[in-house]
Formats: sequence, C-alpha cells, structure tokens
Amino acid sequence: MLNLGLDVVTTAAILFIVSAGLLMVFGVMKIINFSHGAFLTTGGYASVIVAHAGLSWWWSVPCALAIGFLLGMAVERFIVRPLYARPLDAILATWGLGIIVGQIITLMFGRGVQMVASPVDGAIPLAGGQYSAYRLILVAVALLVALALGWLLNGTRLGLQTRAVIMNEALARGLGISSSRVRFMTFCIGAALASAAGCLITPLASVDPNMGVPWIVGAFMLVLVSGSSLVSLAVASLVLGGAQVLVSTFVNPVLGGLTIAVLAALLLRIRPEGFARG
Amino acid sequence: MADSASTLRLRAAAASSWKGPVLVGIVALAVLAVCSVALPTFLVNNLIRAFLYAAVALTVDLLWGYTGILTFGQSAFFGIGAYAAGLIFTHAGFSLPLAAAALAAGIGVAWVVSRAVGWLAFYHGASPLYASVVTLVLPIVLVQGIYSGGEFTGSSSGLSGFDSFDIPLEAWFFIAGALLVLLALTAWMFVRSDAGRLLVAIRENEARCEYLGINVSRYKARLMDTCAVIAAFAGFLFACVQMVVAPEYAGFVFGTELVIWVALGGRGSLIGPIVGAISIDVGSAYLSGNLPYIWTLLVGVAFVTVIVAMPRGLAPLVAAAARQALPRRRRAAPVPVSFAVAQPRDGGGAGNAGPALSVRDVRKHFGSLKVLDGISFDAHAGELLSIIGPNGAGKSTLMRCIADGAERSGGTVEIGGKGIRTLAPYDCVALGIGRKFQTATVFESLSVAEALRIARYRIAPPSRWKRETTLELPQPALDVLRLTGLDRIPERECRYLSHGQKQALELAMVLALEPRTVLLDEPTAGLTKQERTQIGDIFVTLTSRYRMCLLLVEHDLEFVQQISSRIVVLHQGRIVMDGGVDEVVNSELVRAVYAGETHAAANHTEGDA
Repeated sequence: MLNLGLDVVTTAAILFIVSAGLLMVFGVMKIINFSHGAFLTTGGYASVIVAHAGLSWWWSVPCALAIGFLLGMAVERFIVRPLYARPLDAILATWGLGIIVGQIITLMFGRGVQMVASPVDGAIPLAGGQYSAYRLILVAVALLVALALGWLLNGTRLGLQTRAVIMNEALARGLGISSSRVRFMTFCIGAALASAAGCLITPLASVDPNMGVPWIVGAFMLVLVSGSSLVSLAVASLVLGGAQVLVSTFVNPVLGGLTIAVLAALLLRIRPEGFARG
Repeated sequence: MADSASTLRLRAAAASSWKGPVLVGIVALAVLAVCSVALPTFLVNNLIRAFLYAAVALTVDLLWGYTGILTFGQSAFFGIGAYAAGLIFTHAGFSLPLAAAALAAGIGVAWVVSRAVGWLAFYHGASPLYASVVTLVLPIVLVQGIYSGGEFTGSSSGLSGFDSFDIPLEAWFFIAGALLVLLALTAWMFVRSDAGRLLVAIRENEARCEYLGINVSRYKARLMDTCAVIAAFAGFLFACVQMVVAPEYAGFVFGTELVIWVALGGRGSLIGPIVGAISIDVGSAYLSGNLPYIWTLLVGVAFVTVIVAMPRGLAPLVAAAARQALPRRRRAAPVPVSFAVAQPRDGGGAGNAGPALSVRDVRKHFGSLKVLDGISFDAHAGELLSIIGPNGAGKSTLMRCIADGAERSGGTVEIGGKGIRTLAPYDCVALGIGRKFQTATVFESLSVAEALRIARYRIAPPSRWKRETTLELPQPALDVLRLTGLDRIPERECRYLSHGQKQALELAMVLALEPRTVLLDEPTAGLTKQERTQIGDIFVTLTSRYRMCLLLVEHDLEFVQQISSRIVVLHQGRIVMDGGVDEVVNSELVRAVYAGETHAAANHTEGDA
C-alpha cells in the first residue's frame, strides 16, 4: 500500500519534471514543441558524455542544462521563430528536428543502448519495505523545479514580462515588452529544462537515440490538460500519473501505458480547458 | 442564338471536366502496364509498396493539405486494413470468400473507428490542435492493443507466413498502381469541382463556413470516414502483397512519415504527395542501405526546411520551373462564371405576421462579469433596426447571442417564430438568419464566384464532379454584386479585392443564404464615404423592397440616422432606449450615454457648461 502510494508520488514527480519544459514553451508561445523528446535525448547523452569524461554523474545535470540551453537558442532562432503564426506547422517542424537530432546522435554514438551508472545505489528501508532511493530523490527534484520556476515567473523581471505576454501579448508589446525576447528566453529555458529532465531520468531508463520519443506523447497530453499553469501541471501529473500507476498495477501494464493519453483526450473533449482553473 | 452558344459552351465545359482526367488515366495505366514488365524486380517490389503508401498519403493530403486537419492517424486505418487481412488469413486460412470477408471487416472496423474519432475530434468549437491530438492518440492506442494481443496479433513481431492471392508480382504492381491512379483522378475531379472548393473554404475560414449554414464538423467527419476507408483498403492490399503485417504499419511514427511525404511533395496539390511518397519510400529502399542514417537525416533536414521556408512544399516550385522552361502554352481561359437569378423559394417566414426576430430577457455573463443583462426587443420584417452604444456596451456580444445558440447564458431568442435553443450557427442559418462579421471575412484563395457558391452550398448543393458555368443567386445578392462591380470580376481571387469589395462580397455571401433577418456588425468600418453611401442605399433597398429585417451595429450616428427605421441604445449591457430615429438621436439620455462616454475627457468642461 505504501509502495503504491510512493509509486504514485514518484511517477507524478517524474512526469512533472519531464513536462515542465514543454509547459513553459506551450504556455508562453502557444506552440507544441515536439522536439521536446529530442532535448530529453540530448540530456540523456549529456550524462553519457560526462561518464566518458570520467566525471561524477552529478556533473551531467549542469552539463545537460547548458547543452539544452545552447541548442534551444539555435532552434528558437532558426526553426521556431518563423513559425509563430503557424502553430500546426511548428509541431511538424519540431518533430522533424527531433528526427534530425536522433540521427545525429546515432551517427555520433551509435545505435545501441548506452548504460549510465546510477548516482545513488540501492533502496531505502521504509516502514518495513524498501523503496528506490533515486525515485525519492526525484520527488525532491520535482519540488525544486517547481520552486525554481515559480520564483522565475513570480520573482523576476523576466517572469513578470513573461506573465504579461501569456495574458495579453498585444498589450504587453504595447507596453514596450519585447515579446520576441521573452519567447526566446522561454524556449531556451524550456529546452534546458527538457535536457536536464532527460539526464535525470537516465538512472531509471536506458539511453538510446530514441529515448525521448515515448515520453513526448505523455508530456504533450499533460501539458494540453494543464494550459499554462504549473499548479495545474502538478495536479494533472498527480491525477493522470496516479491513474497510470493504478491501471498498470491492477489491470495490466500495457493499458497503463495508454492511461494518460486516453484519459487526457477524453477529458479535453468534455472540458476543453482541462485542469486549468479547475 | 446567344442561348445555343451558351449551351454549347456549357456542354464543352462539362465534357472537358471528364476529358482531362480520363485521358491522364489511360496514359497512366498504359505506363503502368509497360513498367510492370520493363522494370527490374527489386524496383517493382518497392514500387508496389510505395504506390499503396502514396494512396494513404493522398488521404493525408485531402485531410491536411486541403482541409487543414493535421492528422497523424491515417497509419492506424492502414494498419486496421492490413491486420484484418493478416489476422483472418493467419487464423482462418486463405480463400476467396475469406479474403472478401477480411476486406469487409477491415473497411468496417476502420469506418467505425473513424466515426468514433470524428465524434471526439470534430464538434462545434473544437480547436484544430485537439483534432490532431485525437489522431495522435489513435495509432498509439491501436499499437498498444496489438502488442497486448499476444499470440493472436503476433505482438511486436507482427504476423507473417500466411497465404494470400497467388498472383505474380507484375500483376500486383498493376493493381496497386491502378488503385493509386483511380484514387488520384477521383480526388482530382473532386477537389476541382464546385463542391470540392469547400475543403479549401473550411481550411481558410471555418467560422465563416459555419455561419454560411454548413455543418463543418459533420463534413470533416464524413471526409475522415472516406479517407479511413481508403487507407484501410490500401492496408488490406498491402497485407495481401507483402504477406506480413507488423505494428509499425499502424504506428504513429508511420503516421508522421505520411505527413512528412505530403509536406515535402506539396500539401494541397495531389501530385506532390504522390511523388513525395513514392520517391522518398523508394529512395530509402535504395539508399538507406548505403547511407544508413544519413538518408533519414537528409529527409529530416529537407522536411524542416520545407516546413519553415516553403510551406506549400516542392510541387509549386517544380510547377513554376516547368512553366518557365517549357515553351509558353496558351492556357485555355477558364469559362467565366455568369450569374443568374435564383427563383425565390417559398419562404415560410414571408407570410408570417409575427416578428422576424424576438429577443427575450437575453443575458450573458463571463463569470461574475455581466455583459448583457435582460435584453428584450422585437424586430419585424421591413425594419432596419440599429443598435448603438459606446464601446463595451455589449453590441457585438448581442449579435453573437442571436446567431449562435450556445452563446447566451439565459433568455430566449426566436427567429421567425422558432426558438434557437442551443443550436449551432449553421442551424441558426437554416432558421433564416445571416450574419456578417465585423471584419470582412472571405476565403482568401477562392475566387469571388467560388466564395458565393460556398454560400449557396446549403440551399443548392453544388456538383461534386465538375464546375458549373452559371451561378444562381437571389436578387438581393445580385444587386449588391452589380452595384459594387463584383459581378464583372467573378474569377478574381478574394485576396486581391479591396477592403470595400471584400465587405461587399461578404454581404453578398450572407444574402445568398436567402435570410429573412440579417445581422450586420459595423458593416461600414473602414469604407470610404462613397462606399458608405452606396452600402446605405443597399440596406434601405433590402428592407423596403425585399422586406428583410436588418439588425445593424454601428458607431457612426449620422449614418445610422440616415438609414434606420428604429434605434436601440445599449449601455453597460442593458437597453436604455428603444424608439424612433429622431426620438433617440435628439434625446438627452443618448447624448449623455453616447457622446458623454466617448468624448468624456475632451468635453468635460463643455458638458458642465
């Protein structure tokens, strides 16, 4: 029972970490960034690079953040910026970018699965049972990400401008806020977050050129039901992630893998705003 | 004399709409027959697969390129068709009746699934993104279902080794090719026909289509059903030829590949996606061996470049280059569309003595913000009722509440004596209401005549196979066209019209619906003085000669005063005055509300004095 509860919480935490970057981009730019999966993969390979360099695993997080941010800069400038007015095309172009990144990684690292040593080994004894220490750490990381993003949005000048752009872009521009700069920064931060998330999930999943793809659809659905609010995303991760764990445990894992996508699609049909302002 | 000439022209046009496609079809089939024996076996084998893929790509093009529904789910229907064959041939064996049963099952299941998808994805007010989401979820669900099918579905390795039709490869090549040719030609005739222009109209302006009385959601769902059935048929043939089915053929990655082929080849141009699908699929068969990852990388780079820099794909570029290179051929000028008067229908509302429009206690609020609060009034045939009031008074909201049953929060609206309940805009149109938007909304890439024909779609469904050379319009719409000179340029694309012409065209489109009541939201915004006078005269004619009921939202008091028969003043969501023109215009109340609001800052001291 406790194990199940912990599964729900840690799954929600992982989903939150993986989706946060996508939510930033969708909230501000109203664009679905399908290269999110590619950024996750990039982050995964950042930990491979760090491992090859012989550094401690923990170096891979800042390394992934930096790589994601730099890659995000280029992608925003050359691919996303021309497509603001064509959101459906932006989905396609970013998906195409995902293909490109996947192929480049394959050319550089090969097609095989890379193993990365887990930074924290073993399990923690908990009330008679045992639980993976790393999954528990991810809950703390999710809280940290939430707090950091909350501070970024509510405690900084850029955050204020970002919220202004979310609420009313035309008015924000009229007030002298450079919305293109806000978008640029948002995309870079979103990309950095995605990359860091990819690196954070490596101890749980294998690293391969397509490791990001299975995550995209789940993250995408979570973001659609959350609108542009971090709180909604947390709620959505908990509810839909929880449903996924329950279905996987009690019904069957294959159906569990579909839970988020199917529930989110139905939820959006009944209530187009999803969990936002719920 | 003139009559026989025009019938001759008509007959020629009707013949030419068949002649082109039939000729192309015969040539294509002959080429196929030659190729089936002349080409090397490896290529023939690959081309069979590529032809079937191209047939599915064609459906993606119809849905996405023409109609604007970005779909990732056509692979799922292809997979359903393929698995229907694979499952039945594996578990029940192969025989002709069983093959027929498998085909029927595949098509039937695809159709049922498509209905479910249509119900989910297409409803009044659905966002285009949501439709894409549903088509994205579909293949994912299907593939997981296949995975969990265990032995029965072959799980991740799929099914193989089943028997199938015993026909040589060359024959399959011809069958697959002929299917593609047939599909392409049918699609070609359809998209060029009068009815086919609706696809483009929906892509360009869905809201306008709904307010022209077209149930866009249902249309999209039917289109998707058709495309699903075609994809399932292609999938069935695929399983029969290849004698193997695997989850990848139903998966979402294949769904995105289809989109990539369409985008590269040129969305919205039937030939582009066919060439794109065939060349990329055959190309990868040859090149992915030598350049394992580079080939996919190149396709990815080309895809992103095309999406960003040339959204219409490579087809227009090739077409333009061909036009440059080839000796200039005089294009047969399209037979110009001529306008004719439509016989007035027996309007049920004409003899009706009751009010044309009756609004009772209509309320609208967003959360706690009341935008409309207890609005009640009647408007009769032959009346030109103007609604005035300062910005934010709720005028446009009121218009929306009358034309869309789902908009208002409370109260009743009756059009010609029938309540609109929560009817969608296209059903309100059927009750006899027409709405002209505040900003002129036309279909940018349709011609004037095509746009008007879309407006007639509900009353006179156009041909699915050809282009008519005459367009029947009701007299009021013709009057507007004549007065503004639009009747002389029926072939001009709407994007090249001036602002005033667009406004006039939209008005003509609304009048083509033969409405009894017309809602006009600031129809003179941005017009020149001369155009304004002209349109004012038109309004007066509509009410006096054609006994229509016009509801006009307008800022220009002088204009309102000249043409109105009655004025309603709206202020902060309530009716503060309802009366004759002079009474309202000269009233202190209106001056206080209207002038006082808009010029409050400038005239403050003056007002006090």
